[in-house]
Amino acid sequence: MGKQKIQKKRSKLFNLYIISFFFGMIFLFLINVGLESTSTNEFCESCHVHPQATQSWKQGAHVYNQSGVTVNCVDCHLPPDGIARLTAKASTGLRDVYGYFFMDSSDFNWEQKSLRESAIHHVYKSACLNCHQNLFPPMLSKKGEDAHIYYDQKPDELRCISCHLQTGHYHEMKEIEIDEQTMNKEIYKSAAVVDSFTSFTETIPDSKIDFKMIAIPSGTFKMGSPEEEEYRKENEGPQVAVQIANFWMGETEVTWDEFLVYLKETGKEGRTEDQLKDIEKNNNVDGISGPTPFYGNPGQGWGKGKRPAITMTHNAAKKYCEWLSLKTGKKYRLPTEAEWEYACRANTEGAYFFNGEPSDYTARGFWKNIFGVDTTTISGYVVYDQNSYNKTAHTDHIKKNPFGLKNMLGNVREFCSDYFNDGVYSNYSADTQVINPTGPVAGKEFVVRGGSFKSDASELRCAARDHTRQVSWLLTDPQIPKSIWWYSDCNDVGFRVVCEAN
Amino acid sequence: MSNNFDRRKFIGVSAVAAAGIMVGCSNKGGKTRTMESVKFIDQAPEGKELKAGLIGCGGRGTGAAINFLEAGHNLKIHALGDVFQDRIDDCKNKLKEEKQAIVPEENCFAGFDAFEKVIDSGVDVIILATPPHFRPEHFAAAVKARKHVFMEKPVAVDPVGARSIIASSKKAEALGLVVGTGTQRRHQRDYVATFKEIYEGSIGEIVSANCYWNGSQLWYRTHKRGWSEMEYMIRDWVNWQWLSGDHIVEQHVHNIDVINWFTEKHPTKAVGFGSRQRRVTGDQFDNFSIDFEYDNGMHVHSMCRQIDGCVNNVSEFVMGTEGSSNCRNEIYDHKNKVIWKYKYPQKEDGTAGDGVKVSPYVQEHIDLVKAIRENNPYVEAENTAISTLCAIMGRMSAYTGKEVTWDEVMNSDLKLGPDKYALGKVDIPKSVPVPGTGK
Repeated sequence: MGKQKIQKKRSKLFNLYIISFFFGMIFLFLINVGLESTSTNEFCESCHVHPQATQSWKQGAHVYNQSGVTVNCVDCHLPPDGIARLTAKASTGLRDVYGYFFMDSSDFNWEQKSLRESAIHHVYKSACLNCHQNLFPPMLSKKGEDAHIYYDQKPDELRCISCHLQTGHYHEMKEIEIDEQTMNKEIYKSAAVVDSFTSFTETIPDSKIDFKMIAIPSGTFKMGSPEEEEYRKENEGPQVAVQIANFWMGETEVTWDEFLVYLKETGKEGRTEDQLKDIEKNNNVDGISGPTPFYGNPGQGWGKGKRPAITMTHNAAKKYCEWLSLKTGKKYRLPTEAEWEYACRANTEGAYFFNGEPSDYTARGFWKNIFGVDTTTISGYVVYDQNSYNKTAHTDHIKKNPFGLKNMLGNVREFCSDYFNDGVYSNYSADTQVINPTGPVAGKEFVVRGGSFKSDASELRCAARDHTRQVSWLLTDPQIPKSIWWYSDCNDVGFRVVCEAN
Repeated sequence: MSNNFDRRKFIGVSAVAAAGIMVGCSNKGGKTRTMESVKFIDQAPEGKELKAGLIGCGGRGTGAAINFLEAGHNLKIHALGDVFQDRIDDCKNKLKEEKQAIVPEENCFAGFDAFEKVIDSGVDVIILATPPHFRPEHFAAAVKARKHVFMEKPVAVDPVGARSIIASSKKAEALGLVVGTGTQRRHQRDYVATFKEIYEGSIGEIVSANCYWNGSQLWYRTHKRGWSEMEYMIRDWVNWQWLSGDHIVEQHVHNIDVINWFTEKHPTKAVGFGSRQRRVTGDQFDNFSIDFEYDNGMHVHSMCRQIDGCVNNVSEFVMGTEGSSNCRNEIYDHKNKVIWKYKYPQKEDGTAGDGVKVSPYVQEHIDLVKAIRENNPYVEAENTAISTLCAIMGRMSAYTGKEVTWDEVMNSDLKLGPDKYALGKVDIPKSVPVPGTGK
């Protein structure tokens, strides 16, 4: 009997094993079916209804290619395998479900989401490398070889999509646009004649382009911010009494229309070696060197025209001023840091040249996140993160500061001619007035002032200081040597010209 | 800092031994890592016939062809290429004389495009032994044609060339090709055994090093009637920057490569000087002294000289926390007492030997053929490109008088020599650099 019992028990156990194995298999099978069916392109599209996703993917090299291979949504947007894939799938899935039910996809700024800095959060490098295992395929160009050797040196800092942003989703880049008003104009034969210290409209000879220069009267002001100013940084003080002479300043930042005239006249492309040699000898307009052809898309696909010109290097901006001086017979240059702040403040002393305090306008902080932020006054004067849709703007509707300048604090940050030094204000005398200071005599980086379309209100105060970043602004430029004309990794800095009064 | 080249590749006797390296765990002090002994063989394993094409039929090229033939059985020199017919003839005669090897007339190609014809002549292995200026272009063509390659060091004379080598090297790896590079110390049994000792911790951590190629004047040619400038330069190539890279690159790269190998990394900065005292032709210096600095602050002094009548020294030296070594066959304690010695095989008469059993110049071809026949590929080109770049970094510093960083070299667009090769005038600057003047 005992033996039988044990046998019975054994067979019972055996049956249990079989059954649980069977159910286990079914369970695994169902999980697999679930994973597979939620990983198809159709499933992704069922929530990602915005046309940008599917359409641009179909036009990108992952579908529209010679080999006929199609790379699907999850091949790039999930890690290739293992636990990482499951957890990423779960978390993106939850986020997408939330977005689908509680958010309106037409509110999203799709243009912003297709920028590199946003895209890196949705594309896995491991996924790229899972398929692209050989970074030196036989057909790789010389340029590609150099770029991949560069990547090899900085594998932690660079992503595949740092350069190959358009591979997964294709976005047609807008060509240079010149607005119709400008198109219909006459070609200017000469520069503006200025015989008194008043605002004037400069006309660039041999082009249809003009721009306003505002007379900034001489005066004194306190440069920097008082210690009690909200969000103040150490490098904005101590405040210094500064005296500034008369000068003119561009009403707006230099626009693409203006900068493109320079590019067209001086760009290296299309010039013969002999012409270049000839140019070096003679100090005429052609003597100013001009940028190389664009690397990438300096306009970011936002259009050019009257939007501020961006992504040119500090060197390119300086060269533009030299060129403009030769074209017009006037003395154009970048503003000094002191001139910039003087012009920006326009005889005001607060954090902004309009009413309000940084704490009113900043969008940072817990309560602001929940209840929103006051933008009424600031929005009229500044293109910044709350009203820019993360790109540069035309300046027609922006209100002027008391001197008549537009967007000193927003749209794009602006180069100054000074080398940057954190402690430069403490080098100035506390007792006497500093007259037309020009900054440190040497340095590595240059001063950058004002806020941009990306800035929070707390960062675009009149006294806030920043500087160029030669290394990180050129990080993904794979050219050897790196461009001295275009920043590959900075799209919110431009510049404004000043014209000397004497 | 951009030191992210695969460190692993620096460790081994190239990849011949890479498979034999293992990292073991143990307590602090004593052996921290272990490496399997490299099992050298005296002759390449048997296998199907391998046909080699030699590009560059000068002294080293002919020597390399002979070394290849000596590596084992069923090895053949199938084609020859050189800019000059007389070099081809000399090489052909020498191969016949010494190795009874006959290269058919129809497989001999003269001219600047000879390399393409050799590559297309139905060979399995390409031997590149032209002046180093041409190496990047020839190597790229050989890899594109999916040929195994043996090429002499250095692999380039400028950063543009070195980067091309690195790219071709990666392509060769992806294609499963075997590439040896004439840094024969990495195939020299005493060096490899010493490396194993040091790798396993017998001198502790390396804290400084020195390397030298102080030797006498090399050869030069005087301009013969009827030679164009291009012909003269190529025949006198070891004296011209654009062809040889100067002697710090052309010759001293051997020693710099040993230091890279033993320290398992490369310098990140160089400050050096050099000058031209007694060189007769060309536009090169004849002495260099370079201070190489590493990312951990370590310094390595490199010296090289090609001047007659001075004290000579071709060697390396590494100083560790617990001892030092000449990298070749001895290890010393801090009182300079020999604590380890490589055991050379006895001579035939039974007395103590002082040389390795197989010449490293043949050994490197044995290893190459073995890798091909056993389908166990390795590619040494990237390592040698990095060592070449280190030497170029030193040269650039000595020429300019300025500090030169690894980043600058890696991202430099310096390219020496004319854009096109043809017998005639060579339209490039030919002045000896004057440090500190920008010239």
